[in-house]
Amino acid sequence: MTLRYYVVRRLLLVVPTIIGLTLIVFILTHVGGDQRFLGEYINIHSPISVSVQEQQLTQRFHLDQPVIVQYFYWLSAFFHGDWGYTQTPIYSGPVSGAISLFLPNTIVLATLSSVLTVIIGIPLGVWSAVKRNSLVDHATRVFSFVGYSLPVYWLGLLLIIAFASPAICPCLNLFPVSGAVNISLTNGLSWYQGGISFPTHVLLVDSLIYGRFDIFADALMHEVLPVLTLTFSIVASVIRVMRSSMQDTLNQEYIRTARAKGLPNSAVVNQHARRNALIPVLTLMGYTIAGLLGGVVLIESIFNLPGIGYWTTQALLSGDIGGIMGGTVIFGLAFVFSNLVVDILYGYIDPRIRY
Amino acid sequence: MARLDQYKLTLRLLFEDVSSAAGLIIVLGYVGVAVIDAVYPQLIGVVSANVEIPNFSNPVPQPPTWPLHPFGTTFPGVDLYQAVMAAIRVDLWYSFLIVVGGALVGILVGVVAAYMSGAIDEVLMRVTDIFLSIPYLPFAIAVGFVLGRGLDELSLALIVVWWPLYARYARGQALSVKENAYVEAAKASGVGGWGIMTKHIVPNVLTPIFVQISLDLGTVVQTFAALTFIGFASSGPFLPELGTLISNGFPYAISAPWVVIFPGVAILIFAVGMNLLGDGLRDALDPRSRT
Repeated sequence: MTLRYYVVRRLLLVVPTIIGLTLIVFILTHVGGDQRFLGEYINIHSPISVSVQEQQLTQRFHLDQPVIVQYFYWLSAFFHGDWGYTQTPIYSGPVSGAISLFLPNTIVLATLSSVLTVIIGIPLGVWSAVKRNSLVDHATRVFSFVGYSLPVYWLGLLLIIAFASPAICPCLNLFPVSGAVNISLTNGLSWYQGGISFPTHVLLVDSLIYGRFDIFADALMHEVLPVLTLTFSIVASVIRVMRSSMQDTLNQEYIRTARAKGLPNSAVVNQHARRNALIPVLTLMGYTIAGLLGGVVLIESIFNLPGIGYWTTQALLSGDIGGIMGGTVIFGLAFVFSNLVVDILYGYIDPRIRY
Repeated sequence: MARLDQYKLTLRLLFEDVSSAAGLIIVLGYVGVAVIDAVYPQLIGVVSANVEIPNFSNPVPQPPTWPLHPFGTTFPGVDLYQAVMAAIRVDLWYSFLIVVGGALVGILVGVVAAYMSGAIDEVLMRVTDIFLSIPYLPFAIAVGFVLGRGLDELSLALIVVWWPLYARYARGQALSVKENAYVEAAKASGVGGWGIMTKHIVPNVLTPIFVQISLDLGTVVQTFAALTFIGFASSGPFLPELGTLISNGFPYAISAPWVVIFPGVAILIFAVGMNLLGDGLRDALDPRSRT
């Protein structure tokens, strides 16, 4: 079977997963009663009386039908781009609008952390396995063990304390601890209003489009602590798995052969062992993405970053159905599709794997 | 007797390893604090159930002073040492409830799926996969939205999130257990499907599940506290719970760092102890990973 067939088959398998996922979340958010749902849409200041509005909304959303029938109406609207409405302190309007505003920022945060995790985690794991029982190995193991046990939001708070409290750190205000950018820089800009930048909604990109390198640098500094915190929370398990997998690989017969024929250590490690040792790490990455998405929820709340996680949390706190529904579906989709990418990557790392 | 020897060997292996022995001591210490707090809280210095300081209404956190407030005070006029001690019992109890609840549901689903096989297996496992494909934090938020915001509801939400992991694990174990000759013998002697599952399969699935529980408990404590931290459980300022304590202290974190440091350290040490113990248990109970 070729790669293309495999991708198509996996994409088709994604469909029932997404239907199941949205069905679960839909039922969860709609068994709470219609009143909760109506509250989202009813405008008490409107000249039309509340009871008439209720009637109209009941017709529009088919609230007089069973939940399962409502779900199919919702699904049809969902595929037509109508994802409902959300009302939270940080955003009111269509859910699709909220997602287009908040998702890009979350993607930037998650991507930077994943890249950093790979850059730090894989070499450290390899190094730790090659220099087994050395000082480096012990230090790396302690580091990964602590990282594994450390609550991610608490680490974020410690960093905030360290970089913002005058008593503790001489590095005061080296990295900003809250928000996406220094407001004094963006005052009066036509393309940055109310914490929202245009046209891409990612400040790092928009500032470059408008040639404001000072804002770009400031926004980048604001990303440092969130990215470090998120990276630290997921890099630990990558190091652990990379180390044990590399150790297994280094005990293989073909590695002994490579050493016996006189290859230098660097060639054995870099060309023979590392690529084969990557496969369990790749499996882990699928699970790590779930941890990453969970971490995003906490980290965006702590560092006040306008992202999907922050919005979903706000939706929970203000009892907003549209936000919870939209946020959960987005997180579910991100998880399903990133696992798809991981599965496809297997073939590139290990050409023996045939789909 | 062979089984007793096996347990002895397991215990010896557990105690010979310094790190797992340390983990065991930490975990026993936490369990001790929780039990004492439930039975006779004065013994560890917890004087009032809601840990509010009598005649002390200064909500601004005060720095630690020995011996009156060894951890300082936190918003809104709470002795942090007593609050952390009382919170350990709350967090431990709910985390225990979550893993045991999740494991029970998971074992039921996994064992039934493995034993029945065919269409039932397929349906149960696809449902499990769907539950697994939703990242746990947003999913717990959605479940909590329906159930309401409280600690009991939060535990139920986390059980809903956690059982699929155990279901997959139990199914994998049960698939190999059901191929044993004694299951065949039980079938031949007329034991019904339910009897075989409960008497012959479940007991043999329990040990690996138990190891999995011990590996998970550290993570569950963290997740539980994380969700109360973001405000999942609107339990009021006086409920001693580690995540709530951190969340209450959050606005003062910069001027009064102790309000977030002590509750966090309490979570961290428990997670470290539980992970050490879990790794040790896995090594001791799984002969394949013995080196």
